[in-house]
Amino acid sequence: MSAARILTRPGAIATSLIMIPLAAVVGLPFYYVVVNTFKTQAETTMAPLALPTTLNLDNYLTVFSEIPVVQSFLNTVYVTAAAILLMLLIGSMAAFSVILRASRLVTVLLVIAFLVPGQVTLIPLYRMLSQAQLVDTLEGLIILYSGGSVFCYFLIVGYMRTLPGEVIEAARIDGAGPWQIYWRIALPLIRPILITVGVFQTMWVWNDFLTPVVFISSTEKQTLVLQTYKAVGEFTTDWPMFLTLSVVVLIPMVVFFIFMQRYIVRGLVAGSVKG
Amino acid sequence: MTLIDERPTTETRAISTRTRVSRWWTAPMSTNGPTFRADRLKIGLFLVPMLVVFVVLFLVPLVQSIWWSFTDFNGYSTDAAFVGLRNYENVFTDPSMLAGLGFTLFFTLATTVLITALAIPLAVTLDRAFIGRNFVRAIYFFPAIPSVAILGLVWGFILNPLGSGALNSLLQSVVGIGPVPWLSNSTLAQLSVIAVGVWTSTGWHAILYLAYLQSIPDDYYEVARIDGASAVQRFRYITLPLLMPAMTVSWLLLMTGGLKVYDLPITLTRGGPGFSTFTITQTIIQNGVSQAKYGQASALAVIFMLAVGAIVAAQLIVSRRLEGRLS
Repeated sequence: MSAARILTRPGAIATSLIMIPLAAVVGLPFYYVVVNTFKTQAETTMAPLALPTTLNLDNYLTVFSEIPVVQSFLNTVYVTAAAILLMLLIGSMAAFSVILRASRLVTVLLVIAFLVPGQVTLIPLYRMLSQAQLVDTLEGLIILYSGGSVFCYFLIVGYMRTLPGEVIEAARIDGAGPWQIYWRIALPLIRPILITVGVFQTMWVWNDFLTPVVFISSTEKQTLVLQTYKAVGEFTTDWPMFLTLSVVVLIPMVVFFIFMQRYIVRGLVAGSVKG
Repeated sequence: MTLIDERPTTETRAISTRTRVSRWWTAPMSTNGPTFRADRLKIGLFLVPMLVVFVVLFLVPLVQSIWWSFTDFNGYSTDAAFVGLRNYENVFTDPSMLAGLGFTLFFTLATTVLITALAIPLAVTLDRAFIGRNFVRAIYFFPAIPSVAILGLVWGFILNPLGSGALNSLLQSVVGIGPVPWLSNSTLAQLSVIAVGVWTSTGWHAILYLAYLQSIPDDYYEVARIDGASAVQRFRYITLPLLMPAMTVSWLLLMTGGLKVYDLPITLTRGGPGFSTFTITQTIIQNGVSQAKYGQASALAVIFMLAVGAIVAAQLIVSRRLEGRLS
């Protein structure tokens, strides 16, 4: 049966007729957010769901002039990039070592670390960082996020097990040392999973709220999510301004996802073919 | 396949690959000789950064939390007195502690049940061919991309209890009912937090189920159809048993995520009105960080950890039983 005939069967049409309006309802909040960024406050109050009458960009201009969005954006980029690189490095090094030496104890320890909820270690870590003068610093956040290397480890070690070991053997016969094998052979081979894990961890770090809200207090060190949270107090009466801020904050994540999805697909296809 | 199918698959990879045995990589290193011994040491050094992370970020804080939970440590005094189980007793008698415990459990249970009940039928539908399928999949999945904290803030505006709130003004103009106190009434506030929680995650879990559905061979259904199995029977005897592994993953994520919930209630209701949407995490942070009641907060954190552990273990046992019974 051709694709066109499957799609025009009564059942398929009925599914479309139910699913598309339902999806519209689910997506309605996003529509509400976006249309209201182009309206004045009076328009929003009068008709929150109507399309804007003019393409009014005043809200965007005000957000950029009144709130240090660029500063927070750079803070978030710095913390995310440093944390992801660090956790990929730590996770892949540990995976490389465990694969070659098969240490049971390490696996057990890391399973424990993986299962302990962050809430349990939060207070001691707060005290530890405050003694080290690292509370309210971006570097403190990076250190905390490096705990994500445990999750990276599990995904990477699983992927490494699916790779052929002959490549390593060949490199060893050619006289390569462990560091060379790791850097020149293992890392390039596990690139797909590094990208996949990197993408997931980026979404976690970028979107995280708990860590910045507890550890960051200065305005100039805020991440985007924390800044949006703090700005709500200022904008309680000015809804279009707040909604504009959230759109500005959401754009980087959406763009990131759109660009990265093909890498995720590629990584998974590569992984499942070999696995 | 579209963008939305890979995320859950990785999640499941993480779990399935852990059990696989290393065959290839261990072999080349098992030769003897001096080079081998030197290499073995060097390979061991690759573990050092991870061990530092483990000791500094997990082991030491965990031990400290457990130790402080038996003391009246307040962060400043050098001599913390051992108080036995007093902090633990307080957790179960102090009303502000119990409030967080109650809502967190309610939220976890409600979101797990509702999301599962919605996500499985949604996944089955999204697996069929129909016009606009990719668009519909993308819309459902979309709420999983942005930060939950920001979604909570946005929903705070939508659910504003005043007549000018987006939902209230919509209800006013379409149905003609007066302003509903979405976030200012205790019960409605709890239900609102749960509803928004369901909205943010249902699509994501549907895609997780979808990934498993797509791995079920069409032949199974073909054979069942030839044998005269009805649609309900095919769902009950083929789809459901083969979805059990997906349910295990999904429930695990929903339950642990639900117990740890913090972002959504704090951004949507700030824990209010009163203590009605207070969570365990919020109580731990408020006691431990803001009020420096380290001992008290640690006791709650330890109970929390044990509860999460117990629920995860119980859940794994139940899933395994169900898997056995259904297949």
